[in-house]
Amino acid sequence: MRRRAFIDAMPLIVSAIPFALVVGLAITESGIGSLIGWTGAPLIFAGAAHLTLVTLLGTGTAVVAAVSAALVINARHMMYSAALAPTFQKQPRWFRWLGPYALLDQMFAIVILRKDDEPDDFRSYYLTAAAIFFIFWNIMVALGLLVGPVVPETWQLGFVVPVMFVGIVVMSIDRYPKAVAAVVGAATSYLFAGLPNRSGLLVGALVGIIAGVLADRGSGR
Amino acid sequence: MTAFLAILVVGVGTYLSRSIFILALADRTIPERVVRALEFVGPAVLSALVVALMIDDSGTVAIGVPEAAALVAGGLAGWKWRNLIYVVAAGMTVFWVMRVWF
Repeated sequence: MRRRAFIDAMPLIVSAIPFALVVGLAITESGIGSLIGWTGAPLIFAGAAHLTLVTLLGTGTAVVAAVSAALVINARHMMYSAALAPTFQKQPRWFRWLGPYALLDQMFAIVILRKDDEPDDFRSYYLTAAAIFFIFWNIMVALGLLVGPVVPETWQLGFVVPVMFVGIVVMSIDRYPKAVAAVVGAATSYLFAGLPNRSGLLVGALVGIIAGVLADRGSGR
Repeated sequence: MTAFLAILVVGVGTYLSRSIFILALADRTIPERVVRALEFVGPAVLSALVVALMIDDSGTVAIGVPEAAALVAGGLAGWKWRNLIYVVAAGMTVFWVMRVWF
């Protein structure tokens, strides 16, 4: 399980390098101070929200507005929490409190494929992947502060993330209502792409879930 | 100091959004209907997220031929081999090769 977690997490770690470096650079440019800016890496532990917050603070946006924007960006995590709630019911209390801390997009994507594993296997897989993300993320954001974006942008390593997520969506589809949920979710997200802070994805996800439930009923179970 | 407080608030808010249902539903019986509905959260939110990741600075979905081809390749690899390494290998190979032409 540990080895499997390591193998699954690696491509996502590598693809996070350019993004972490950009977060580091944004902290430098924002002028809020390197150490204070870096504390967002372990405290927020979510790249997009961290980057948005730091950038907005640096441009002199009202603090309340900057915080709100970052929180809207992170609202999708509530859906991850709901999706994994049945799995976490079989876990010890300490892990139910600790685990959500590391429930990044990438974590959710890889652990959702393991949600029906044996509880011990799931926990071992989750903790291994979380530890790897935690260590690398904190170091790489710090590295971004020190050296700036050293990975050439033309490599577009970050594209690994959507590629892997598409693969995960396909792998998670074991009956057709899930395909309906995925397709409707993507299409709705596309229609609402103009909403601020990428909040269109929330609309897309919700409509996708509803479509999946309706298709499920229609299929007569 | 204000910046640190802002980071702290977002950090707490992020933890709350990640933990809310895991903690709130820990000791409750989740109705079968709800458990079944939750099955759709993964596919719906991840595919919606893929689209959102393609949004550029102008707020529109920017997807060219290499991106589209790579996403299809990644999806096909996941369907055929059920292994994330193959998904990444297939998707990124197609992406980098296609970019030479487009």
